[in-house]
Amino acid sequence: MDSLVARYTRPAYEEEGQSHQDQQELSRAGPELSLKFALPPVAQSASWLRAMTDDYSNPNCPIKIAHGTTTLAFRFKGGIIVATDSRATAGNWIASQTVKKVIEINNCLLGTMAGGAADCQYWLAFLGMQCRLHELRHKRRISVAAASKILANLVYSYKGMGLSMGTMCAGVTPQEGPALYYIDSDGTRLAGNLFCVGSGQTFAYGVLDAQYSYDLSDEDALELGRRSILAATHRDAYSGGSINLYHVKEDGWVKHGFNDTNPIFWETKLNKGEFSNVTSELV
Amino acid sequence: MSRRYDSRTTIFSPEGRLYQVEYALEAISHAGTALGILAQDGIVLAAERKVTSKLLEQDTSAEKLYILNDNMICAVAGMTADANILINYARQAAQRYLLTYNEDIPCEQLVRRLCDLKQGYTQHGGLRPFGVSFIYAGWDPQRQFQLYQSNPSGNYGGWKATSVGANNASAQSLLKQDYKEECDLKEACGLAVKVLSKTMDSTKLSSEKIEFATVGRTKSGKIYHHLWGADEIDALLKEHGLAKAEDTERDEL
Amino acid sequence: MEVLLGITGKDFTIIAASKAAMRGATILKASDDKTRALNPHTLMAFSGEAGDTVQFAEFIQANVQLYSMRNGMELSPAATANFVRGELARALRSRRPYTVNLILGGYDTITDKPTLYWIDYLASCAPVPYAAHGYAQYYCLSLLDKHHHPDISFDQGMKILRMCTEELKRRLPIDFKGVIVKVITKDGIREQEYEDDVKVVVP
Repeated sequence: MDSLVARYTRPAYEEEGQSHQDQQELSRAGPELSLKFALPPVAQSASWLRAMTDDYSNPNCPIKIAHGTTTLAFRFKGGIIVATDSRATAGNWIASQTVKKVIEINNCLLGTMAGGAADCQYWLAFLGMQCRLHELRHKRRISVAAASKILANLVYSYKGMGLSMGTMCAGVTPQEGPALYYIDSDGTRLAGNLFCVGSGQTFAYGVLDAQYSYDLSDEDALELGRRSILAATHRDAYSGGSINLYHVKEDGWVKHGFNDTNPIFWETKLNKGEFSNVTSELV
Repeated sequence: MSRRYDSRTTIFSPEGRLYQVEYALEAISHAGTALGILAQDGIVLAAERKVTSKLLEQDTSAEKLYILNDNMICAVAGMTADANILINYARQAAQRYLLTYNEDIPCEQLVRRLCDLKQGYTQHGGLRPFGVSFIYAGWDPQRQFQLYQSNPSGNYGGWKATSVGANNASAQSLLKQDYKEECDLKEACGLAVKVLSKTMDSTKLSSEKIEFATVGRTKSGKIYHHLWGADEIDALLKEHGLAKAEDTERDEL
Repeated sequence: MEVLLGITGKDFTIIAASKAAMRGATILKASDDKTRALNPHTLMAFSGEAGDTVQFAEFIQANVQLYSMRNGMELSPAATANFVRGELARALRSRRPYTVNLILGGYDTITDKPTLYWIDYLASCAPVPYAAHGYAQYYCLSLLDKHHHPDISFDQGMKILRMCTEELKRRLPIDFKGVIVKVITKDGIREQEYEDDVKVVVP
């Protein structure tokens, strides 16, 4: 009898367009979710994925993952600056020059994406959903520490299965103040003042470290963020497109444009005399 | 008597002389005169061309003045066939240097290369020395405009004004008389034709009988070398009143 | 993790090379000089395969010195760079190529200009206003892009070099034991004293 009842009884809220399974999934932030993914029918999924996608050792690999980026974020007295380029590459192919690599999780929280574009996009959207649920459940916004931890635990549960992400979570909450976290697909999660992530990270670090200070003014901080991304797009083949610039403040983030690097480069070169190695003279 | 010491270039005579080398020098002293004059802003080379027959094609090629490199030209006195070998060698040496260092060979180094080769033929047996003397005109960034002369023994030296070939003794003394250190290229050209007109057998000159070349600097500072055309030589001769009478007639036609 | 840096300015060229001689996981020497003076106005800094580096540098040094003796004049920095490139290119197609990366700093006494050449083990050669080899490229070139100008004074040059070495100290995971700094001017090559014990922290 019970089994019959169970078979024919439907959950009360099924008509609302979501299955019982989905309902359960949404109320749970745990890593069990991972098991719902269809995995390739092979024993070692990570090594299989590597064989299919690693175009460094195998240029003819069937799947080319979009990689290569420069993203940066740093804390200073006026909040947090977040800046990224906008290029997506798949091998030597520039797949897009207009990628939004800053994910607006909510009006006080930003995430950046570097690494596999699909991985980042999917999981940061997922993180956004979890943050919203947290907000609804607890009637207050999630802390940056907690949000970053959700992402870190999530990617850790997939460790060794080929996820490729390097992200930063930046936000301001009343209990934490401005907070910045670095999370990568190895499972590393670090709080810090300054991070650069992606293939162009070293170039951005070069410019950023030299002039970084916690006491930077808002204008100087924005300019330094912009100039660091410019440096990386100039030297790193896998970074380019436009500069996406954000300033996270106590009362939420402010967007400071999505601007093409090319005019910025020439403006910088011609007005400030920088990039003196770029000459029009033939040697 | 001398048979014992002059059949081979490698043997000194009891007086300490190398007869074959001296014979080569003697051969050159019968060749057409060539001279070079160093000016403040350039160098002029001029040479007498021995016209052997009216039937000879005149304007096929220069026979006394050659371009060695972008920065260097030379005048030849002596056996033209021997000179061709040496000039080819010099051109190759200059290009090899350019390939190795991506800059023009310094003038003295090119002269020395050539002279090392010439010297070799006065020492290694069985071969005769090259019967050629050269006057070199060139420019390099280190020592600017330079004039050199070399002879079959492999000796060379730098000069302000010099001459080789027939009547070179009288040419040399004329140069010594009239050379002024602060002269410019235009004055040097005038001196060159003047000396040549006095040392050549015919009193009146023409573009058929002489060759002319200059190394100088353009207004923009670039170094050029230039082998003169017949009309330019005639114009110069006319300017100095040394042109043949029939030439002026032809001009009037 | 070897560091080579070069910066030109108004009337000088600065060359900096890391002092650590590393083999595997060991630092064998902390005062290594990875430079050779080729003639009074040309200095070559080198990094790469152990053994090859010094062999190649001293081979070049001997040949450039031979040129000076034979011809009674210095080979110009530009000519030297081309000669070095040629030798590297010849070796590249031989049975055993030299795996050496070079930075050639000089002062051309004829044109009165400082010179700097970037040469890698594949025999690429380029005249540049500033140069780096190895991981230093990744950290310092963006910095030099921003702060370098062709007519900087010597003090400004040293300031930029300081920015570079501090960034490397901050971000490179292995200690390269500081740098040896040499300066080429119209008066020749001299070693520049360089404070190495500044503490640098990661922000």
